[in-house]
Amino acid sequence: MITAGIDVGSKTVKVVILQDGKILARSLVLTGFEQGKAAEEAFALALKQAGLSAKDIQKVVATGAGRTSVSFATESVSDVAADARGAVFINPNARTVIDVGAEEGRGISTDTRGKVIDFAVNERCAAGAGTFTEAMSRAIEVKLEDMGELSLKSTQEIPLNAQCAVFAESEVVSLVHAKTSKEDIARAIHDGISNRIAAMARRVGVQNDIVLIGGVARNKGFVASLKRQLEADIKIPDEPEYVGALGAAVIAAS
Amino acid sequence: MTLDRAKEIVTNRHDYAREWKKKTGSKVMGYFCTYVPEEIVYAAGVLPIRVIGSHEAQSYTEPHIYTMFCPFSRDVLAQGLRGKYDYLDGIMIGHSCLHLRQAFGAWMTNVPASFSYYMYTPAKIQSPHAKEMMLAETTEFKKAVENWLGRPITDDALDKSIEVYNTNRRLLKQIYELRKADPPPLFGSEAIELVLSSQLSDKAEHNKLLESVLKELPQRRNGPQGGNIRLMIIGSEDDDTNFLRYVEGLGATIVADEHCTGSRYFWNETVPEKDRLRAIGNRYMNRPPCPTKDWESRRRFVHIMNMAKEYNIQGAILVQQKFCDPHEFDIPPLKALLEKNGIPSLFLEFDITVPIGQFRTRVEAFLEMLQLEVV
Repeated sequence: MITAGIDVGSKTVKVVILQDGKILARSLVLTGFEQGKAAEEAFALALKQAGLSAKDIQKVVATGAGRTSVSFATESVSDVAADARGAVFINPNARTVIDVGAEEGRGISTDTRGKVIDFAVNERCAAGAGTFTEAMSRAIEVKLEDMGELSLKSTQEIPLNAQCAVFAESEVVSLVHAKTSKEDIARAIHDGISNRIAAMARRVGVQNDIVLIGGVARNKGFVASLKRQLEADIKIPDEPEYVGALGAAVIAAS
Repeated sequence: MTLDRAKEIVTNRHDYAREWKKKTGSKVMGYFCTYVPEEIVYAAGVLPIRVIGSHEAQSYTEPHIYTMFCPFSRDVLAQGLRGKYDYLDGIMIGHSCLHLRQAFGAWMTNVPASFSYYMYTPAKIQSPHAKEMMLAETTEFKKAVENWLGRPITDDALDKSIEVYNTNRRLLKQIYELRKADPPPLFGSEAIELVLSSQLSDKAEHNKLLESVLKELPQRRNGPQGGNIRLMIIGSEDDDTNFLRYVEGLGATIVADEHCTGSRYFWNETVPEKDRLRAIGNRYMNRPPCPTKDWESRRRFVHIMNMAKEYNIQGAILVQQKFCDPHEFDIPPLKALLEKNGIPSLFLEFDITVPIGQFRTRVEAFLEMLQLEVV
């Protein structure tokens, strides 16, 4: 059976095509203003990679913030369900799934089958998500992809309130004025986000294995901060941003 | 300077308590609110120490209390959950606000201690029945401590304890008295550290500390400068002396306070009477009140205005923990009252960590504004 999972995130659309538990193709495009179009584009790209056409796909399940915009989807599931299913598919020992995307952070506790037991999502606040790092990287004039490495070179811990992204930004500006090094500011930013994320994860109860997914999992600085906060090891899949789409494809196949 | 010793006790509060325990072989009780009749605990040979803020970012409290709880209650609970107070033999709280009470509840559930006690203290101290009720609650509490320790607390021990506590209050008041001078011989941050160190140490030892501070202050050369703007801080629990140091580095001196971690803690003494428990209870009902209990008229404002006059205040910083509704409720009438008396004020909300950068602009602008008025 060939299925597809489409994760329409706030920043990017991810597609995974799955055949009998094997990934045939993956694609990623920017979501932009027209989510439906971006979803079609990403789907076409993945089909091309797999050498398939749309009629070869028996079932398409959409997930993500923009899942209702996928007109060709057979059905849709929540991000939380897709995350849990995808994480357990990759790592059967996953019990806590932490998903940090562009606009949202989530802590999910799952059973052995990838069924959600409990979850928490960051509320009314961007300080626990990837966009925050992006905005902050602009404030200290560092490329987003360099933020992680930079923060690993930090020599001191500086607390950032970071309950609110706007206030946190003004705190970062204060640090800039106080001539704090970029390394230390970068770490303070990652500590701030991971603090919010760790609190969320603790709300659902942290159990091993902890699997971190979503694009922000590629940020080494954030991962180091989160490990410190949770005082635990964290497993990161090879392609962390595709786990939601993968979960949707797995759900489609079941 | 002995003042440095006070700061050291505040900074190394856990070391102090652990060493005390080792030295005396006695128990230590952590308390959550200054409405706890400490004299009873002390009379039982147990050291009461206040659980105060650590100002470390944390992610431990959300499974138990929500983020809309005040930063102080979250900070306190986080330290308990992280085992920072693992040397405590008991914990207790005197009822004041719900945030702190729920934090206490979560601590009690998740960090087992051999003694944990929630003591109700009247929420309406202006009620004609408040003192009777306080007496009944104090009596119950004394019994609970006696049961825990398996020995009675004698009248003699209570008398000694009251004496030690009253001496501590008197000495702190004498030091505060010196702050009426211009320049005062000590900084506001140091004064708060004296109060905090009192909450964190054996009062008999602390009395000796205060006596040497009193002796040393007249000879002090590196105190605040004369002619600085005279500020008062008013508000809720605030043990962040770094912020006070920062303000006092900008040409202002904090000369007085109406604070949970300041004058409110020690301002009145226990007036001895034959019924010791009644005497102790009355002291807590007569103290400068916390806004959680100060209703319908506001006795707290009388204390504030007396101080403002006696200490020749030029401006006030209203400091409160974020989400502290009881204090927040008092802010509009308090601001108006200060204004009517020619005292401008600045309102600041504190979190677990203080964003100095954000406060800098406001404090500097406030001081500039006061400077213009003084000229």
